[in-house]
Amino acid sequence: MLPQRRNHKGQRVASSEAAMEAWTRAWSQMIETGTKAIKSNVYLAKTSKDEVEIAETPSDTVFQIDKVRVMRYRPLVEPNPDIPPVLICYGLFGRQTMIDLQEDRSLVRNLLQSGVDVYVVDWGNPTRADQFLNFDDYIDLYLGSCVDHVVAANSGKPITMFGICEGGTFAAALVADRPHLFAGLALAITPIDFHGQPDEFWAGEGFLNSWIGNLSEDDVDLIIDTYGMLPGAMTGAVFSSLTPIASMTKYNIGLAAMEGDDAAMLNFLRMEKWIADRPDHPGEAARQWLNDLYRDNQLVEGTFELCGKPVDLSKINCPVLNIYALQDHIIPVSCSKALGRFVQEDLYEEIGFPGGHVGVFVSRKAQGVVAGGLSEWMQRKLVAKPAKKAAPKSKPGKPRKTAAKRKA
Amino acid sequence: MFSDRTNSVQYAPRAGDLAGEKQLASKDDNFEQMFDLWKEGQEAFFKAQNDIAKTFAQSFTDGMAPQTPSGAETFANWQAMVKAWAPTWDANSFDLSQQATAFTSGNDAWLAMLDPANWTKQVPEQLRNILESISRAPQFADLATPHAEAAAAWRETLDYQNAAAELGKTMQEAWTRAFQRYSESHTLDDLQTGDVQAALDAWLKAANAELLETQRSPSFMQAQRKLLRASMEIKARQREIAEAWCDAYQIPTRTEVDDLTKIVHELRRELRKAKREIAALRSASGGTGEND
Repeated sequence: MLPQRRNHKGQRVASSEAAMEAWTRAWSQMIETGTKAIKSNVYLAKTSKDEVEIAETPSDTVFQIDKVRVMRYRPLVEPNPDIPPVLICYGLFGRQTMIDLQEDRSLVRNLLQSGVDVYVVDWGNPTRADQFLNFDDYIDLYLGSCVDHVVAANSGKPITMFGICEGGTFAAALVADRPHLFAGLALAITPIDFHGQPDEFWAGEGFLNSWIGNLSEDDVDLIIDTYGMLPGAMTGAVFSSLTPIASMTKYNIGLAAMEGDDAAMLNFLRMEKWIADRPDHPGEAARQWLNDLYRDNQLVEGTFELCGKPVDLSKINCPVLNIYALQDHIIPVSCSKALGRFVQEDLYEEIGFPGGHVGVFVSRKAQGVVAGGLSEWMQRKLVAKPAKKAAPKSKPGKPRKTAAKRKA
Repeated sequence: MFSDRTNSVQYAPRAGDLAGEKQLASKDDNFEQMFDLWKEGQEAFFKAQNDIAKTFAQSFTDGMAPQTPSGAETFANWQAMVKAWAPTWDANSFDLSQQATAFTSGNDAWLAMLDPANWTKQVPEQLRNILESISRAPQFADLATPHAEAAAAWRETLDYQNAAAELGKTMQEAWTRAFQRYSESHTLDDLQTGDVQAALDAWLKAANAELLETQRSPSFMQAQRKLLRASMEIKARQREIAEAWCDAYQIPTRTEVDDLTKIVHELRRELRKAKREIAALRSASGGTGEND
């Protein structure tokens, strides 16, 4: 027997009446959700994959080494010659198209609109033929060559390096190794201390660190030796499992919630297109990423080497802007903020973005906070600085003893 | 997998052939006798190989339910092959029924291990132990190597199934706890309001919280790691089988291509290093570039 209940107006009602009211409400909600889902399905049915376009801002290939290319974006406004050109370097786990997903959510376009000369590294499509490429190749040879090209195009003057995620780790290592080539270093969602502060992790943060830390060196070797590469499908599956319920409800509840709205659906499909295009990560570089960095934390331990030479992050002596995401489920905040321990206090700034890993680039809010913050930082920190000629060597900066605590 | 090439050999029947009876060629014709001897041997050999190949193929396609020739059939095939090569072979010199029984009953450890049909009769733990002992046993050159390899592959499949079951159990327990959590946060009274959206939201919230906790638990991470390793072992075995096939058909194997890739990679690295050294030397001596 149903208990005595009150209706939504708070009036006492008979059990049978309450049951009927509940039944009606349940059906009405289900019909409403079903109608929303049908609208989204209709949108999907009428949309072809060719209509979902990303990375449309015009660019030209200006440099190539093996599969790696440097794209220079065509200016949207008159470039400001006082701002050093920026070279953007994404990681190998995804495509750089993330930074130019669509016209109104494009870091590239925002920078171009600010008068910045924008270059972007495209790592190409690594195959098993590239499985033996390691960090010496990717950082010293490939990224180093790309930087050399942009510096040469900038009349030999230092440039700004902007590294994202794994590309940020590459960028930090290269700037530490060749500080004389850089006027500034900006990083976004970049792991530096790969262990971070596990005691500070919120629920859902730091799974990657825990899971990879749970593997032995032999486990990692077994994966790489078996596949030759770190398959994109595997990393994609791991990323999905970091947010289990969100991944399970994305294509049902999530789609229904969009109600077939053109803009929302197209945004969603653009993101899906980017996610689906996940390249395989070259095996030897992945082995170093997982064993040397994630497991052994060599970058902050000072034992990580490039071409046999230890990488000393305290040699970064240019202005640094470190952008991290407060709800990042892939790179914990403490892993990114660790860079502050190595850079002189007066050179170091942070932006803690209230969003997730990818939201740093694709959310509407990010266009102002991240892209705007980056442009503002370049204007403030890099333009005022007198241009210096890229010298063969520069005096290394004094290492900092404590982590930076402030935010921009 | 193995083609019966003897089917393509044509020769005319002889007047002395008797229906239903195999007869060797005229003892006066040594060449013909040798030819027939070879043919009979090949037929039996390929038949036996075909059966084994089918067993192996079945093992890797249908998992745990291989279709194998019976022990008696295998034994008969083996006898036919021996008899073809040794016409004076007396099948009755063995107690056929006893031998065939031993072959399939598991009474004779050596013979029993040759027949995968026997393996499936064991419970998983016993089966795994048997497979482990077979795959790790000393091997005598070519003898029983395919069987040891099959046992190893079978053991790896079992390990994978066990690992998958273990992770499945861990997740099942997590879902049970999630439901418990949901039951506590969303009561029967809540359900009776008919607000299904609120019920769904509460369920997703409870499930998400529980899954996030589970994914950080030692039992989950241990099961995840075990499954990862087991799946890699299976993948490595698949590669081994594929490479054996490539080798048989004169196709370069993955390992050979990888070796070649590594050689090219190292050569390119040496070349770049040499170029840098040359450039540095030229620079030090006042040169300006490659055209100096």
